[in-house]
Amino acid sequence: MPILPRLRDPADRIYYTLVVAIGGALMIYFALVPVLGLNVAFHFYLMLWITMASAFNVSSGFSGYLPFGYVAFYGVGAFTTAILVKKAAFPVFLALPFSGVAGLVLALLFAPTLRLSGIYFGIVSLALAGICRLVITNMPEEITGGSFGLQLGSRAHPVQAFYVMMAVMVAALAVILWLSRSRLGKALRATRDDAEAAEMMGINVPRVRLYGWLVAAFFPALCGGVEAWYTNVVDTETAFNTLTTAKTVIYAVAGGLGTITGPIIGSVVMVWLDELIWRQFPLLNLLILGLATIALVLFLPRGIVGTILRRKPQWRRYVP
Amino acid sequence: MSAAIETRGLTKRFGGLVALDSVGLQAASGETLGIIGVNGAGKTTLMNCICGLYRPDGGDVFIAGERVTGQPPHVVAHKGIGRTFQVPRVFRKMSLIDNLLVPVLDRRASSDAELTERAEEMLARMQLIGLRHNYAEELSGGQQKLLEMARMLMPDPPIVMLDEPFAGVHPVLCKFMIERIEEMSGAGKAVLLISHDLTSIYRLSSRVVALNQGKIIAEGGVADIRGNPAVIEAYLGA
Amino acid sequence: MDQLILNGIVNGLIVGGVYALIGVSLTLLYGVLRVVNFAHGEFVIAGSFLAYVLFSHLGLPPLLALPIAAIAFFAAGWGLYYVLIPRLSRSDDPELMSFLMFYGVSIAAAAGMLLVFEADSRSIDYTFTPISVPIGPIYVSTARLVALAIAVAISGALAMFLFLTLPGKALRAAIMNPEAIQIMGVDIVRLSAFAFALASALAGVTGVLVALVFPAFNAFSGPDYTIIAFIVVVLGGLGNPVGALLAGVIFGLAEQLATVFLPQSLAQIVGFAILVATIFLRPTGILGSSARK
Repeated sequence: MPILPRLRDPADRIYYTLVVAIGGALMIYFALVPVLGLNVAFHFYLMLWITMASAFNVSSGFSGYLPFGYVAFYGVGAFTTAILVKKAAFPVFLALPFSGVAGLVLALLFAPTLRLSGIYFGIVSLALAGICRLVITNMPEEITGGSFGLQLGSRAHPVQAFYVMMAVMVAALAVILWLSRSRLGKALRATRDDAEAAEMMGINVPRVRLYGWLVAAFFPALCGGVEAWYTNVVDTETAFNTLTTAKTVIYAVAGGLGTITGPIIGSVVMVWLDELIWRQFPLLNLLILGLATIALVLFLPRGIVGTILRRKPQWRRYVP
Repeated sequence: MSAAIETRGLTKRFGGLVALDSVGLQAASGETLGIIGVNGAGKTTLMNCICGLYRPDGGDVFIAGERVTGQPPHVVAHKGIGRTFQVPRVFRKMSLIDNLLVPVLDRRASSDAELTERAEEMLARMQLIGLRHNYAEELSGGQQKLLEMARMLMPDPPIVMLDEPFAGVHPVLCKFMIERIEEMSGAGKAVLLISHDLTSIYRLSSRVVALNQGKIIAEGGVADIRGNPAVIEAYLGA
Repeated sequence: MDQLILNGIVNGLIVGGVYALIGVSLTLLYGVLRVVNFAHGEFVIAGSFLAYVLFSHLGLPPLLALPIAAIAFFAAGWGLYYVLIPRLSRSDDPELMSFLMFYGVSIAAAAGMLLVFEADSRSIDYTFTPISVPIGPIYVSTARLVALAIAVAISGALAMFLFLTLPGKALRAAIMNPEAIQIMGVDIVRLSAFAFALASALAGVTGVLVALVFPAFNAFSGPDYTIIAFIVVVLGGLGNPVGALLAGVIFGLAEQLATVFLPQSLAQIVGFAILVATIFLRPTGILGSSARK
């Protein structure tokens, strides 16, 4: 396969032009944030949420699962990096890949849940995340730091962490771009729409689902690891906070599931709104997040990009 | 030479209900086998057992002489069976082109461009080419049936199973579909055609199997079945 | 040791009675409306806070808070139904979107209670006389026994309502076949609004009992009860009210006995494990027949 497919179709040309334009703009902008002295923390978390929401989209937009325990991957990734750095004296750059691996291992452990669907999957996912949190909470204090958590000490380097987060985001978006155009992506979508029919059309449904699930698990685990490094501290309360799942889901849905731009736009808009609200009304922040979610489901269930594409179905082929 | 598709003693029970009771049938390449029976006779269960969706409680399925009983549906599909469904099961949020690509996604030998080209040809043959970038859910019921047929034919399977292709379809479209089915058997495919509508079955089939309460009650040429008292009784009630 | 086990059984029955009510209201909601109320725990805690306010500001004892909670939550549920549900059913996948929407309700409700009551844990200092009652060798607090009696009474009344009255039968019919009941000429919207209101009222009343049975509650206690509700509902079979009542008691017993034998934090895992195991091994619940092909 050539790296760039032969662009026989003019629609593909527009599609890839948009990919390059949006991707290029994002990368240049983020790369310049520390250089221009913009708010590093804000943009770090913006990239983190773009990555989380985009990876979540692979699970729910492409594959049709709604994992309400998505934070489990993030939390396990955070603890993996923290434990390796603090207790095994790994350099951070060596520890981070292990966070990704931990996410994959957890995804494999949870793989049997993929034969559940709809709310059963959601509920089980939530319960499994609860189990993960309790297991780590109950591990010996020498390993996980107990209720105080783990402090990574003098290894903090916000700007380095910022660029690593950026690399993770770019990698996630590249993988998802490839996935959405690939045969695996088509097989995933077919499975999402009608798993039985897809299976009778020759799709190896369990395998396809597993691949999608691994992609969806890998990136949040990396995010957890990078965030642990960035904030320099990890504890079970924050690493397994249900709000992490909530924000991921809400940002992805706000943009629109199933497209690549959806979760990006959703994250940008919502993180920006979140920051604005938080600054204006720090006490009302949670309340407004909750109300925004309700409003989103009621008035914009397909998200920003999804709603536009529903109005203009002919644009579907051009929008990544 | 072995039949393209054959079942021997196929049995399927749901709880206490015997949905299929020792069903044996076969169809050769280029032959259209009609399968008739009233609602609940076991026609769709038979199809689901053949393509691996249900695991039969007894009996076997052979494709070109090879036993495929108990294999998962995607493996059976790759042995060369395509099918349609009584109520169309299209991939709703995928374009028509992508719908057609699903059964050939694992063809590593063909490039995406080649497969897309073939998909466009198939859509043209089904008169759906103008809608190729639409989502499948945007088609009418009849168009979805045509899309299913095109999707089924995409990998050029030697065996096709059509589940009630004419149910709820406009007469003009029926005629169009009948022609397409004739083309399939003309191209040497073994066609299993399920219907409770006798007219179209009698027109297309070379042989007919009549099912009632999961059992084969009659089998033979169209003329034999048409006058068979057991079939008439099953249809009109005793 | 025997005393500990007896203690576990008695407490299990008491807690189980509360769990049964939490579960039965959630299962009614799911059964009739096919929506998953992620905010159910917050509804319950809101009931506890109502009892708290009535007691600490107006001096009303919890027993009087019961009817007030029932009426207030019934009305609130009725209104909430018309705000939330009709629009929801227009989305592509109402069942999953309901999950997400109630996630939002859950966050908003917890945040709202946090704003009003702050993060401190609250409890109601109301005491019955005598303060505890001997059962064999152990003493059980009167408040907990009263709560159990109320839970049993409400469950009984609910069962009679569902099986003996016309609206109750309509509800059960709607759970079994929502399409058919519309053809029969039942106004499904009104019935659904009623189901939502009834489930909310039950949740509110259960909240009052929670305040009697458990030592304290705060604005963030909701998710714990939501998880318990999920466990009970899944164990009893989604949409099966009788199953939920039974499952609530079973789970209450299992949980309380687990705390006898296991450390507190591990006992929590038992609940999650029961939930996951049920969904895998017996997705139709303890009373359901196996639906596997």
